[in-house]
Amino acid sequence: MSGQATAMLEVEGVSKNFGALAALAGVSLTVRAGEVFSVIGPNGAGKSTLFNVISGLHLPSAGHIIFKGEEITDLGPEVINRRGLAKTFQITNIFPGISVYDNVRVAAQSCVSISGRLTSLWRLPDVEGPVVELLGAFGLAARRDELAQNLSHGEQRYLEICLALATEPALLLLDEPTAGMTPGETKEATALIRGIARSRRLTVLLIEHDMSVVMGISDRIAVLHFGQKIAEGPPAAIRNDPQVIDAYLGGAED
Amino acid sequence: MSKLLSWRGWLVFAALAALPLFPWMSKYYMLLAFDALLFGAVAMSLDLLMGYTGLVSFGHAAFFGLGAYATAVLLERGVLSLWLCLGFAAVVVGVYALTVSYFATSRRGIYFALLTLIFAEVVYTVFRYTQAFGGSDGIQGLPSPELAPGFALDSPARLYYLVVAYLLLAYLACRVIVRSHFGQVLVAIRENEDRARFLGYNVQRYKMAVCLISAVLTGLAGALYPGRSAYATPDLLHWSVSGEFLIMVMIGGLGTLVGPILGGAFFIILQEKVSSYVQWYNIVVGLVLVLIVLFAPRGLLGFRQAMRGRAGREAPG
Repeated sequence: MSGQATAMLEVEGVSKNFGALAALAGVSLTVRAGEVFSVIGPNGAGKSTLFNVISGLHLPSAGHIIFKGEEITDLGPEVINRRGLAKTFQITNIFPGISVYDNVRVAAQSCVSISGRLTSLWRLPDVEGPVVELLGAFGLAARRDELAQNLSHGEQRYLEICLALATEPALLLLDEPTAGMTPGETKEATALIRGIARSRRLTVLLIEHDMSVVMGISDRIAVLHFGQKIAEGPPAAIRNDPQVIDAYLGGAED
Repeated sequence: MSKLLSWRGWLVFAALAALPLFPWMSKYYMLLAFDALLFGAVAMSLDLLMGYTGLVSFGHAAFFGLGAYATAVLLERGVLSLWLCLGFAAVVVGVYALTVSYFATSRRGIYFALLTLIFAEVVYTVFRYTQAFGGSDGIQGLPSPELAPGFALDSPARLYYLVVAYLLLAYLACRVIVRSHFGQVLVAIRENEDRARFLGYNVQRYKMAVCLISAVLTGLAGALYPGRSAYATPDLLHWSVSGEFLIMVMIGGLGTLVGPILGGAFFIILQEKVSSYVQWYNIVVGLVLVLIVLFAPRGLLGFRQAMRGRAGREAPG
Protein backbone atom coordinates (compact mmCIF):
# COMPACT_ATOMS: atom_id res chain seq x y z
CA MET A 1 0.00 0.00 0.00
CA SER A 2 1.46 3.32 -1.01
CA GLY A 3 -1.11 5.50 0.75
CA GLN A 4 -2.05 9.00 -0.44
CA ALA A 5 1.46 10.34 -0.97
CA THR A 6 3.39 8.89 -3.94
CA ALA A 7 5.72 6.07 -3.06
CA MET A 8 9.39 6.71 -3.90
CA LEU A 9 10.56 3.27 -2.85
CA GLU A 10 8.61 0.12 -2.12
CA VAL A 11 10.28 -2.86 -0.50
CA GLU A 12 7.97 -5.86 -0.79
CA GLY A 13 8.57 -8.99 1.25
CA VAL A 14 12.33 -8.93 0.84
CA SER A 15 14.33 -11.83 2.29
CA LYS A 16 18.05 -12.40 2.09
CA ASN A 17 19.77 -15.57 3.22
CA PHE A 18 23.49 -16.02 3.65
CA GLY A 19 23.76 -19.78 3.86
CA ALA A 20 21.64 -20.81 6.82
CA LEU A 21 21.50 -17.26 8.20
CA ALA A 22 18.36 -15.31 7.36
CA ALA A 23 19.69 -11.74 7.39
CA LEU A 24 16.34 -10.41 6.19
CA ALA A 25 13.01 -12.21 6.52
CA GLY A 26 10.08 -10.80 4.58
CA VAL A 27 10.75 -7.12 5.16
CA SER A 28 8.29 -4.67 3.58
CA LEU A 29 8.34 -0.93 3.82
CA THR A 30 7.32 2.09 1.76
CA VAL A 31 9.26 5.33 1.59
CA ARG A 32 7.10 8.25 0.46
CA ALA A 33 8.43 11.02 -1.77
CA GLY A 34 9.97 13.86 0.24
CA GLU A 35 10.14 12.19 3.63
CA VAL A 36 13.05 11.17 5.83
CA PHE A 37 12.54 7.52 6.67
CA SER A 38 14.86 5.81 9.15
CA VAL A 39 15.64 2.19 9.77
CA ILE A 40 16.94 1.36 13.22
CA GLY A 41 17.77 -1.82 15.02
CA PRO A 42 20.50 -3.46 17.09
CA ASN A 43 23.77 -4.65 15.56
CA GLY A 44 23.17 -7.54 13.18
CA ALA A 45 19.50 -6.70 12.72
CA GLY A 46 19.95 -6.65 8.92
CA LYS A 47 20.01 -2.90 8.31
CA SER A 48 23.09 -2.81 6.10
CA THR A 49 21.95 -5.95 4.28
CA LEU A 50 18.67 -4.19 3.50
CA PHE A 51 20.63 -1.27 2.02
CA ASN A 52 22.85 -3.58 0.01
CA VAL A 53 19.81 -5.31 -1.44
CA ILE A 54 18.07 -2.04 -2.29
CA SER A 55 21.16 -0.48 -3.89
CA GLY A 56 21.87 -3.50 -6.07
CA LEU A 57 24.94 -5.00 -4.39
CA HIS A 58 23.07 -8.16 -3.36
CA LEU A 59 20.22 -9.95 -5.08
CA PRO A 60 17.42 -10.66 -2.60
CA SER A 61 16.54 -14.32 -1.98
CA ALA A 62 12.87 -13.34 -2.28
CA GLY A 63 10.79 -10.22 -2.72
CA HIS A 64 10.78 -7.13 -4.91
CA ILE A 65 12.21 -3.62 -4.85
CA ILE A 66 10.17 -0.97 -6.67
CA PHE A 67 11.75 2.46 -7.22
CA LYS A 68 9.63 5.29 -8.69
CA GLY A 69 7.13 2.68 -9.81
CA GLU A 70 9.66 0.50 -11.63
CA GLU A 71 11.09 -2.80 -10.53
CA ILE A 72 14.84 -2.57 -9.80
CA THR A 73 15.27 -5.88 -7.98
CA ASP A 74 17.66 -7.44 -10.51
CA LEU A 75 19.61 -4.35 -11.53
CA GLY A 76 23.25 -3.64 -10.68
CA PRO A 77 24.41 -0.67 -8.57
CA GLU A 78 25.55 1.39 -11.57
CA VAL A 79 22.13 1.12 -13.27
CA ILE A 80 20.23 1.83 -10.06
CA ASN A 81 22.38 4.90 -9.44
CA ARG A 82 21.57 6.25 -12.90
CA ARG A 83 17.85 5.78 -12.14
CA GLY A 84 18.29 8.25 -9.27
CA LEU A 85 19.13 6.26 -6.17
CA ALA A 86 22.46 7.03 -4.47
CA LYS A 87 24.02 5.39 -1.43
CA THR A 88 26.64 6.37 1.11
CA PHE A 89 28.68 3.82 3.00
CA GLN A 90 29.01 3.05 6.67
CA ILE A 91 32.75 2.61 6.25
CA THR A 92 34.06 5.61 4.35
CA ASN A 93 34.36 4.68 0.69
CA ILE A 94 35.99 7.49 -1.27
CA PHE A 95 38.76 7.90 -3.86
CA PRO A 96 41.72 8.29 -1.49
CA GLY A 97 44.56 9.20 -3.86
CA ILE A 98 42.98 12.11 -5.73
CA SER A 99 41.94 15.57 -4.60
CA VAL A 100 38.68 16.36 -2.82
CA TYR A 101 37.59 18.36 -5.85
CA ASP A 102 38.38 15.51 -8.26
CA ASN A 103 36.46 13.10 -6.02
CA VAL A 104 33.28 15.13 -6.31
CA ARG A 105 33.91 16.01 -9.96
CA VAL A 106 34.08 12.40 -11.07
CA ALA A 107 30.84 11.74 -9.20
CA ALA A 108 29.11 14.77 -10.73
CA GLN A 109 30.30 13.75 -14.19
CA SER A 110 28.37 10.52 -14.10
CA CYS A 111 25.05 12.24 -14.70
CA VAL A 112 26.07 14.53 -17.59
CA SER A 113 24.73 13.63 -20.99
CA ILE A 114 28.05 12.54 -22.59
CA SER A 115 28.74 10.03 -19.82
CA GLY A 116 29.27 6.60 -21.36
CA ARG A 117 29.30 7.99 -24.91
CA LEU A 118 32.15 8.11 -27.39
CA THR A 119 32.62 11.87 -27.04
CA SER A 120 33.56 11.38 -23.40
CA LEU A 121 36.92 10.14 -24.74
CA TRP A 122 38.01 13.66 -25.62
CA ARG A 123 35.65 16.02 -23.82
CA LEU A 124 35.63 17.01 -20.18
CA PRO A 125 32.24 18.37 -19.12
CA ASP A 126 32.13 21.48 -16.97
CA VAL A 127 30.65 20.54 -13.61
CA GLU A 128 32.51 23.18 -11.61
CA GLY A 129 29.28 24.89 -10.48
CA PRO A 130 27.55 21.96 -8.75
CA VAL A 131 30.86 20.64 -7.36
CA VAL A 132 31.80 23.95 -5.76
CA GLU A 133 28.28 24.33 -4.40
CA LEU A 134 28.40 20.90 -2.76
CA LEU A 135 31.85 21.44 -1.28
CA GLY A 136 30.67 24.76 0.08
CA ALA A 137 27.55 23.26 1.65
CA PHE A 138 29.65 20.73 3.54
CA GLY A 139 32.41 23.14 4.51
CA LEU A 140 35.00 21.49 2.30
CA ALA A 141 35.63 24.41 -0.06
CA ALA A 142 38.96 25.28 1.56
CA ARG A 143 40.10 21.67 1.32
CA ARG A 144 39.34 21.19 -2.37
CA ASP A 145 42.94 20.59 -3.47
CA GLU A 146 43.80 18.29 -0.57
CA LEU A 147 44.11 14.56 -1.24
CA ALA A 148 40.98 12.86 0.07
CA GLN A 149 43.06 10.50 2.21
CA ASN A 150 44.46 13.48 4.13
CA LEU A 151 41.05 14.68 5.33
CA SER A 152 39.98 14.22 8.93
CA HIS A 153 37.46 11.50 9.71
CA GLY A 154 34.58 13.95 9.95
CA GLU A 155 35.54 15.60 6.65
CA GLN A 156 35.74 12.21 4.95
CA ARG A 157 32.23 11.42 6.20
CA TYR A 158 31.01 14.65 4.56
CA LEU A 159 32.89 13.87 1.35
CA GLU A 160 31.18 10.49 1.38
CA ILE A 161 27.80 12.24 1.31
CA CYS A 162 29.01 14.75 -1.32
CA LEU A 163 29.88 11.89 -3.68
CA ALA A 164 26.39 10.45 -3.45
CA LEU A 165 24.68 13.85 -3.76
CA ALA A 166 26.80 14.81 -6.78
CA THR A 167 25.05 12.11 -8.83
CA GLU A 168 21.83 14.12 -8.33
CA PRO A 169 19.69 11.39 -6.80
CA ALA A 170 15.98 11.56 -6.02
CA LEU A 171 16.45 9.11 -3.16
CA LEU A 172 19.50 9.16 -0.90
CA LEU A 173 20.40 6.11 1.19
CA LEU A 174 22.55 7.10 4.16
CA ASP A 175 24.22 4.23 5.99
CA GLU A 176 25.13 5.55 9.45
CA PRO A 177 26.37 8.92 8.18
CA THR A 178 27.55 9.97 11.64
CA ALA A 179 29.50 6.77 12.37
CA GLY A 180 32.61 7.63 14.35
CA MET A 181 31.72 11.30 14.83
CA THR A 182 31.88 13.10 18.14
CA PRO A 183 28.52 14.15 19.69
CA GLY A 184 29.15 17.73 18.57
CA GLU A 185 29.94 16.67 15.02
CA THR A 186 26.91 14.39 14.99
CA LYS A 187 24.60 17.24 15.92
CA GLU A 188 26.07 19.48 13.24
CA ALA A 189 25.93 16.70 10.63
CA THR A 190 22.31 15.92 11.43
CA ALA A 191 21.26 19.52 10.97
CA LEU A 192 23.23 19.71 7.75
CA ILE A 193 21.67 16.57 6.29
CA ARG A 194 18.18 17.72 7.22
CA GLY A 195 18.79 21.13 5.64
CA ILE A 196 20.20 19.72 2.41
CA ALA A 197 17.42 17.14 2.11
CA ARG A 198 14.87 19.96 2.41
CA SER A 199 16.55 22.38 0.03
CA ARG A 200 17.12 19.71 -2.63
CA ARG A 201 13.68 18.16 -2.00
CA LEU A 202 15.37 14.82 -1.47
CA THR A 203 13.81 11.69 -0.13
CA VAL A 204 16.11 10.15 2.46
CA LEU A 205 16.35 6.60 3.73
CA LEU A 206 18.60 6.54 6.75
CA ILE A 207 20.22 3.82 8.83
CA GLU A 208 21.35 5.10 12.18
CA HIS A 209 22.53 3.83 15.50
CA ASP A 210 22.37 7.07 17.37
CA MET A 211 18.81 7.47 18.70
CA SER A 212 19.12 11.23 19.13
CA VAL A 213 19.90 11.56 15.43
CA VAL A 214 16.99 9.36 14.38
CA MET A 215 14.38 10.97 16.62
CA GLY A 216 15.33 14.49 15.55
CA ILE A 217 15.50 13.94 11.83
CA SER A 218 12.93 11.30 10.86
CA ASP A 219 9.37 11.61 9.63
CA ARG A 220 8.85 7.88 10.10
CA ILE A 221 10.90 5.04 11.54
CA ALA A 222 11.00 1.29 10.96
CA VAL A 223 12.60 -1.04 13.48
CA LEU A 224 14.44 -4.19 12.39
CA HIS A 225 15.17 -7.03 14.79
CA PHE A 226 16.81 -10.27 13.68
CA GLY A 227 15.96 -9.54 10.05
CA GLN A 228 12.28 -8.79 10.71
CA LYS A 229 10.40 -5.53 10.89
CA ILE A 230 8.86 -5.33 14.34
CA ALA A 231 7.49 -1.79 14.22
CA GLU A 232 6.92 1.19 11.99
CA GLY A 233 5.60 4.66 12.70
CA PRO A 234 6.38 8.25 13.64
CA PRO A 235 9.21 8.85 16.18
CA ALA A 236 6.90 9.37 19.15
CA ALA A 237 5.09 6.07 18.56
CA ILE A 238 8.34 4.18 18.13
CA ARG A 239 9.77 5.64 21.31
CA ASN A 240 6.82 4.27 23.28
CA ASP A 241 6.37 0.92 21.51
CA PRO A 242 6.89 -1.75 24.19
CA GLN A 243 8.18 -4.27 21.66
CA VAL A 244 10.80 -1.82 20.43
CA ILE A 245 11.85 -0.88 23.93
CA ASP A 246 12.21 -4.52 24.77
CA ALA A 247 14.15 -5.43 21.62
CA TYR A 248 16.29 -2.44 21.13
CA LEU A 249 16.12 0.57 23.39
CA GLY A 250 16.16 -1.43 26.60
CA GLY A 251 19.19 -3.42 25.59
CA ALA A 252 21.13 -0.60 23.98
CA GLU A 253 23.52 -0.01 26.86
CA ASP A 254 26.66 -1.13 24.99
CA MET B 1 40.20 21.94 -24.27
CA SER B 2 43.49 23.00 -22.76
CA LYS B 3 46.74 23.08 -24.69
CA LEU B 4 47.73 19.60 -25.81
CA LEU B 5 51.45 19.96 -25.84
CA SER B 6 53.55 22.45 -23.89
CA TRP B 7 56.25 24.46 -25.68
CA ARG B 8 58.73 22.10 -24.07
CA GLY B 9 56.94 19.12 -25.60
CA TRP B 10 57.05 20.69 -29.05
CA LEU B 11 60.74 21.42 -28.49
CA VAL B 12 61.40 17.75 -27.70
CA PHE B 13 59.65 16.62 -30.87
CA ALA B 14 61.48 19.28 -32.90
CA ALA B 15 64.75 17.95 -31.48
CA LEU B 16 63.72 14.39 -32.35
CA ALA B 17 62.89 15.52 -35.89
CA ALA B 18 66.29 17.22 -36.19
CA LEU B 19 68.21 14.23 -34.84
CA PRO B 20 68.98 12.59 -38.22
CA LEU B 21 70.71 15.80 -39.34
CA PHE B 22 73.60 15.19 -36.96
CA PRO B 23 76.58 13.60 -38.72
CA TRP B 24 77.14 10.98 -36.01
CA MET B 25 73.65 9.58 -36.53
CA SER B 26 74.73 6.49 -38.45
CA LYS B 27 72.24 3.93 -39.75
CA TYR B 28 72.91 1.92 -36.62
CA TYR B 29 71.97 4.78 -34.31
CA MET B 30 68.98 5.66 -36.44
CA LEU B 31 67.57 2.15 -36.02
CA LEU B 32 68.42 2.17 -32.32
CA ALA B 33 66.48 5.43 -32.02
CA PHE B 34 63.61 3.77 -33.94
CA ASP B 35 63.48 0.94 -31.41
CA ALA B 36 63.80 3.29 -28.46
CA LEU B 37 60.88 5.45 -29.58
CA LEU B 38 58.75 2.52 -30.75
CA PHE B 39 58.99 0.72 -27.44
CA GLY B 40 58.61 4.01 -25.62
CA ALA B 41 55.26 4.35 -27.41
CA VAL B 42 54.31 0.82 -26.39
CA ALA B 43 55.16 1.49 -22.74
CA MET B 44 53.08 4.69 -22.88
CA SER B 45 50.10 2.71 -24.21
CA LEU B 46 50.49 0.21 -21.40
CA ASP B 47 50.57 3.10 -18.92
CA LEU B 48 46.92 3.84 -19.76
CA LEU B 49 46.12 0.49 -18.17
CA MET B 50 48.72 0.28 -15.43
CA GLY B 51 49.18 3.86 -14.32
CA TYR B 52 45.73 5.29 -14.92
CA THR B 53 43.33 2.38 -14.48
CA GLY B 54 45.39 0.24 -12.09
CA LEU B 55 45.20 -2.86 -14.30
CA VAL B 56 48.39 -4.87 -14.76
CA SER B 57 48.50 -6.60 -18.14
CA PHE B 58 50.91 -9.50 -18.55
CA GLY B 59 49.87 -9.97 -22.15
CA HIS B 60 50.84 -6.86 -24.06
CA ALA B 61 53.38 -8.79 -26.12
CA ALA B 62 50.42 -10.49 -27.82
CA PHE B 63 49.03 -7.12 -28.94
CA PHE B 64 52.44 -6.03 -30.20
CA GLY B 65 53.21 -9.36 -31.87
CA LEU B 66 49.76 -9.67 -33.48
CA GLY B 67 50.23 -6.20 -34.97
CA ALA B 68 53.62 -7.28 -36.34
CA TYR B 69 52.22 -10.51 -37.79
CA ALA B 70 49.27 -8.65 -39.34
CA THR B 71 51.71 -6.46 -41.25
CA ALA B 72 53.97 -9.41 -42.07
CA VAL B 73 51.13 -11.46 -43.52
CA LEU B 74 50.14 -8.60 -45.84
CA LEU B 75 53.71 -7.73 -46.87
CA GLU B 76 54.38 -11.39 -47.59
CA ARG B 77 51.45 -11.40 -50.02
CA GLY B 78 52.63 -8.27 -51.77
CA VAL B 79 50.22 -5.85 -50.08
CA LEU B 80 52.73 -3.08 -49.44
CA SER B 81 50.51 -0.16 -48.40
CA LEU B 82 51.44 0.86 -44.88
CA TRP B 83 47.90 2.15 -44.33
CA LEU B 84 46.35 -1.21 -45.18
CA CYS B 85 48.85 -2.89 -42.85
CA LEU B 86 47.98 -0.50 -40.02
CA GLY B 87 44.26 -0.89 -40.62
CA PHE B 88 44.46 -4.67 -40.74
CA ALA B 89 46.59 -4.74 -37.57
CA ALA B 90 44.12 -2.48 -35.76
CA VAL B 91 41.19 -4.74 -36.66
CA VAL B 92 43.01 -7.97 -35.72
CA VAL B 93 44.35 -6.60 -32.46
CA GLY B 94 41.06 -4.88 -31.67
CA VAL B 95 39.01 -8.07 -32.04
CA TYR B 96 41.54 -10.04 -29.98
CA ALA B 97 41.67 -7.31 -27.31
CA LEU B 98 37.89 -7.21 -26.95
CA THR B 99 37.81 -10.98 -26.50
CA VAL B 100 40.58 -11.02 -23.91
CA SER B 101 39.30 -8.01 -22.01
CA TYR B 102 35.75 -9.33 -21.90
CA PHE B 103 36.95 -12.29 -19.87
CA ALA B 104 39.82 -10.60 -18.05
CA THR B 105 37.77 -7.63 -16.82
CA SER B 106 35.18 -9.91 -15.28
CA ARG B 107 37.87 -10.76 -12.73
CA ARG B 108 40.00 -8.52 -10.59
CA GLY B 109 43.58 -8.00 -9.49
CA ILE B 110 45.87 -10.94 -10.02
CA TYR B 111 43.18 -12.77 -12.00
CA PHE B 112 43.08 -10.00 -14.57
CA ALA B 113 46.87 -10.22 -14.94
CA LEU B 114 46.79 -14.02 -15.18
CA LEU B 115 44.01 -14.09 -17.76
CA THR B 116 45.85 -11.62 -19.99
CA LEU B 117 48.96 -13.82 -19.63
CA ILE B 118 47.11 -17.04 -20.45
CA PHE B 119 45.49 -15.58 -23.57
CA ALA B 120 48.85 -14.23 -24.71
CA GLU B 121 50.50 -17.62 -24.20
CA VAL B 122 47.80 -19.21 -26.33
CA VAL B 123 48.55 -16.70 -29.09
CA TYR B 124 52.27 -17.41 -28.74
CA THR B 125 51.72 -21.16 -28.98
CA VAL B 126 49.44 -20.83 -32.01
CA PHE B 127 51.97 -18.78 -33.95
CA ARG B 128 54.93 -20.83 -32.75
CA TYR B 129 53.46 -24.08 -34.09
CA THR B 130 51.45 -22.98 -37.12
CA GLN B 131 53.41 -23.60 -40.32
CA ALA B 132 51.32 -21.09 -42.26
CA PHE B 133 52.94 -18.41 -40.07
CA GLY B 134 56.41 -19.92 -40.42
CA GLY B 135 56.40 -21.75 -37.10
CA SER B 136 59.38 -20.91 -34.90
CA ASP B 137 61.13 -19.07 -37.75
CA GLY B 138 58.24 -16.67 -38.17
CA ILE B 139 57.78 -14.78 -41.41
CA GLN B 140 61.16 -13.68 -42.76
CA GLY B 141 62.57 -11.59 -45.57
CA LEU B 142 59.71 -9.16 -45.91
CA PRO B 143 59.72 -6.24 -48.36
CA SER B 144 59.46 -2.69 -47.05
CA PRO B 145 55.98 -1.23 -46.69
CA GLU B 146 55.08 1.82 -48.77
CA LEU B 147 53.72 5.08 -47.46
CA ALA B 148 52.38 5.76 -50.95
CA PRO B 149 52.81 3.75 -54.16
CA GLY B 150 56.51 4.03 -55.04
CA PHE B 151 57.47 5.62 -51.71
CA ALA B 152 58.93 2.68 -49.80
CA LEU B 153 59.96 3.03 -46.18
CA ASP B 154 63.27 1.42 -46.97
CA SER B 155 65.81 3.71 -45.30
CA PRO B 156 66.56 4.10 -41.59
CA ALA B 157 65.80 7.83 -41.84
CA ARG B 158 62.35 7.25 -43.33
CA LEU B 159 61.56 4.62 -40.72
CA TYR B 160 62.78 6.91 -38.01
CA TYR B 161 60.51 9.75 -39.11
CA LEU B 162 57.64 7.31 -39.28
CA VAL B 163 58.08 6.32 -35.66
CA VAL B 164 58.50 9.94 -34.54
CA ALA B 165 55.20 10.77 -36.25
CA TYR B 166 53.54 7.74 -34.65
CA LEU B 167 54.84 8.62 -31.20
CA LEU B 168 53.62 12.21 -31.56
CA LEU B 169 50.12 11.16 -32.63
CA ALA B 170 49.86 8.39 -30.03
CA TYR B 171 51.08 10.72 -27.30
CA LEU B 172 48.56 13.41 -28.23
CA ALA B 173 45.79 10.80 -28.28
CA CYS B 174 46.75 9.51 -24.83
CA ARG B 175 47.06 13.06 -23.49
CA VAL B 176 43.55 13.90 -24.69
CA ILE B 177 42.15 10.67 -23.26
CA VAL B 178 43.63 10.99 -19.77
CA ARG B 179 42.35 14.55 -19.49
CA SER B 180 38.85 13.66 -20.68
CA HIS B 181 35.72 12.57 -18.84
CA PHE B 182 36.73 9.00 -19.69
CA GLY B 183 40.22 9.49 -18.27
CA GLN B 184 38.83 10.84 -14.99
CA VAL B 185 36.67 7.74 -14.63
CA LEU B 186 39.71 5.52 -15.24
CA VAL B 187 41.48 7.16 -12.32
CA ALA B 188 38.38 6.73 -10.16
CA ILE B 189 38.35 3.02 -11.05
CA ARG B 190 42.02 2.77 -10.07
CA GLU B 191 41.31 4.47 -6.76
CA ASN B 192 38.13 2.60 -5.81
CA GLU B 193 36.23 0.63 -8.41
CA ASP B 194 33.39 -0.38 -6.09
CA ARG B 195 32.55 3.23 -5.36
CA ALA B 196 32.77 4.05 -9.07
CA ARG B 197 30.00 1.48 -9.67
CA PHE B 198 27.81 3.08 -7.03
CA LEU B 199 28.29 6.43 -8.75
CA GLY B 200 26.69 5.03 -11.89
CA TYR B 201 29.73 3.90 -13.88
CA ASN B 202 29.69 0.56 -15.69
CA VAL B 203 33.21 -0.32 -14.56
CA GLN B 204 33.64 -3.37 -16.77
CA ARG B 205 32.72 -1.42 -19.88
CA TYR B 206 35.25 1.29 -19.02
CA LYS B 207 37.92 -1.34 -18.42
CA MET B 208 37.19 -3.03 -21.74
CA ALA B 209 37.32 0.31 -23.54
CA VAL B 210 40.70 1.25 -22.09
CA CYS B 211 42.04 -2.25 -22.81
CA LEU B 212 40.93 -1.81 -26.42
CA ILE B 213 42.59 1.59 -26.75
CA SER B 214 45.83 0.45 -25.12
CA ALA B 215 45.91 -2.75 -27.19
CA VAL B 216 45.26 -1.03 -30.52
CA LEU B 217 47.96 1.58 -29.85
CA THR B 218 50.36 -1.24 -28.96
CA GLY B 219 49.28 -3.22 -32.02
CA LEU B 220 49.85 -0.23 -34.32
CA ALA B 221 53.38 0.08 -32.92
CA GLY B 222 53.81 -3.64 -33.58
CA ALA B 223 52.56 -3.13 -37.13
CA LEU B 224 55.43 -0.70 -37.74
CA TYR B 225 58.03 -3.20 -36.56
CA PRO B 226 58.37 -5.49 -39.65
CA GLY B 227 59.18 -2.37 -41.72
CA ARG B 228 62.34 -2.08 -39.67
CA SER B 229 63.17 -5.75 -39.03
CA ALA B 230 61.84 -7.39 -42.22
CA TYR B 231 60.46 -10.21 -40.09
CA ALA B 232 57.83 -11.16 -37.52
CA THR B 233 58.77 -14.02 -35.21
CA PRO B 234 57.03 -15.75 -32.29
CA ASP B 235 59.68 -14.21 -30.01
CA LEU B 236 57.76 -10.94 -30.27
CA LEU B 237 54.77 -12.68 -28.66
CA HIS B 238 56.68 -14.25 -25.81
CA TRP B 239 55.64 -13.48 -22.21
CA SER B 240 59.12 -12.19 -21.42
CA VAL B 241 58.42 -9.32 -23.85
CA SER B 242 55.29 -8.48 -21.83
CA GLY B 243 57.52 -8.47 -18.76
CA GLU B 244 59.90 -6.03 -20.41
CA PHE B 245 56.99 -3.72 -21.22
CA LEU B 246 55.98 -3.74 -17.54
CA ILE B 247 59.56 -2.92 -16.53
CA MET B 248 59.65 -0.02 -19.01
CA VAL B 249 56.53 1.48 -17.43
CA MET B 250 57.81 0.91 -13.89
CA ILE B 251 61.22 2.51 -14.44
CA GLY B 252 59.63 5.39 -16.32
CA GLY B 253 56.99 6.24 -13.73
CA LEU B 254 53.40 5.02 -13.52
CA GLY B 255 50.62 7.33 -14.59
CA THR B 256 52.78 9.95 -16.27
CA LEU B 257 52.71 8.94 -20.00
CA VAL B 258 56.02 10.76 -20.60
CA GLY B 259 57.78 8.62 -17.98
CA PRO B 260 57.09 5.29 -19.71
CA ILE B 261 58.27 6.76 -23.04
CA LEU B 262 61.56 7.58 -21.31
CA GLY B 263 61.51 4.20 -19.57
CA GLY B 264 61.05 2.34 -22.84
CA ALA B 265 63.79 4.30 -24.60
CA PHE B 266 66.13 3.95 -21.62
CA PHE B 267 65.57 0.18 -21.42
CA ILE B 268 66.20 -0.38 -25.15
CA ILE B 269 69.33 1.77 -25.24
CA LEU B 270 70.71 0.29 -22.02
CA GLN B 271 70.14 -3.26 -23.25
CA GLU B 272 71.68 -2.53 -26.65
CA LYS B 273 74.75 -0.69 -25.36
CA VAL B 274 75.57 -3.12 -22.57
CA SER B 275 75.05 -6.16 -24.80
CA SER B 276 77.54 -4.78 -27.31
CA TYR B 277 80.26 -4.92 -24.64
CA VAL B 278 79.55 -8.02 -22.57
CA GLN B 279 77.69 -11.27 -23.05
CA TRP B 280 76.28 -11.26 -19.54
CA TYR B 281 74.49 -7.99 -20.27
CA ASN B 282 71.28 -9.17 -18.64
CA ILE B 283 73.01 -9.10 -15.26
CA VAL B 284 74.06 -5.49 -15.75
CA VAL B 285 70.64 -4.45 -17.06
CA GLY B 286 68.96 -6.24 -14.16
CA LEU B 287 71.24 -4.55 -11.65
CA VAL B 288 70.50 -1.10 -13.06
CA LEU B 289 66.77 -1.82 -12.90
CA VAL B 290 67.03 -2.97 -9.30
CA LEU B 291 68.87 0.23 -8.41
CA ILE B 292 66.19 2.33 -10.08
CA VAL B 293 63.41 0.53 -8.24
CA LEU B 294 65.28 0.89 -4.93
CA PHE B 295 66.24 4.53 -5.22
CA ALA B 296 63.52 5.89 -7.49
CA PRO B 297 60.51 3.69 -6.78
CA ARG B 298 58.27 6.11 -8.64
CA GLY B 299 60.39 5.82 -11.76
CA LEU B 300 62.68 8.19 -13.63
CA LEU B 301 60.04 10.86 -13.93
CA GLY B 302 58.77 10.40 -10.39
CA PHE B 303 62.34 10.81 -9.20
CA ARG B 304 62.68 14.06 -11.07
CA GLN B 305 59.37 15.34 -9.67
CA ALA B 306 60.40 14.36 -6.15
CA MET B 307 63.66 16.27 -6.52
CA ARG B 308 61.84 19.32 -7.82
CA GLY B 309 59.37 19.07 -4.95
CA ARG B 310 62.19 18.89 -2.42
CA ALA B 311 63.85 21.94 -3.92
CA GLY B 312 60.61 23.90 -3.70
CA ARG B 313 58.86 22.93 -0.50
CA GLU B 314 58.21 19.57 1.08
CA ALA B 315 58.43 16.56 -1.21
CA PRO B 316 54.93 15.24 -1.82
CA GLY B 317 53.95 11.94 -0.29
